[in-house]
Amino acid sequence: MARRGSRVSSGGEDVELDMTPMLDVVFILLIFFIVTSVFIKEPGTTIFRPDAITEEDQNPSMLIGVSAESEIWVNRRVYQMVELRGVIEQLLQENPKGKAMIQGDEDADIGVILDVQELLTEMDVDVKISTFQP
Amino acid sequence: MRRRTRHDEDQAEVNMTPMLDIVFILLIFFIVTATFLSEEGLDMRPPPDCGDECPPPPPDATVILVQVDEEDNVFVNQVRSDVDRVLSAVNRYRAEAPSSPVLITVSDEASHGVIVQIWDEMKANEVPVSLSRDDGNGG
Repeated sequence: MARRGSRVSSGGEDVELDMTPMLDVVFILLIFFIVTSVFIKEPGTTIFRPDAITEEDQNPSMLIGVSAESEIWVNRRVYQMVELRGVIEQLLQENPKGKAMIQGDEDADIGVILDVQELLTEMDVDVKISTFQP
Repeated sequence: MRRRTRHDEDQAEVNMTPMLDIVFILLIFFIVTATFLSEEGLDMRPPPDCGDECPPPPPDATVILVQVDEEDNVFVNQVRSDVDRVLSAVNRYRAEAPSSPVLITVSDEASHGVIVQIWDEMKANEVPVSLSRDDGNGG
């Protein structure tokens, strides 16, 4: 009997949790993740990158693929060299401080990769040649 | 007085729970999709043009020329070599002039993999290396 009595009294006191501080924290986290999320557009073709041991880390925001047939792929589409400047400008608008990474296939022509690299350097974009750690 | 008390009691409290659910779902979505993509890569850009302020090259340095033609044949100082033997050939020249840099001259049709392999071998052995394009007149 005594037990039951105490249970009733605790039910009556029903403490309500103040959610406000947690909600603040959650909102701040949400805004942080919305702001930092960069949706990377994959080139969309299979690329076998060459191996290298002296590579450095980079967090690229644009990926430019050069396939074994030396086609330039950006965001699942093939572009010609002359179209590439406009495409990169568009990507830069989304992310003005973005870095670029050229994913060249082992069998791609070096000329095409150097063309892309020259274009990106000319546009003041930090560019690296993507490699694969064996 | 009485009225006000009653009004206080009536005050509807907004139920936050559904909004909180939505916010949590959004939060989880953004956490999951936030892939901080990290890739490894080589910086193969040519060095910046330094004009007159370039440090003078060491006196005993002679540039070792590595040429790669459109069929991926490799030549070190005009002597035919092989992708896997470039390093030993370069080291032979560098034994005589230890501070010699390497200049890789490539044909536009050479394959990317070969150039990256040579570049990487040179960098791994701390050989100063730079890349230039063959202007097409046989170099």
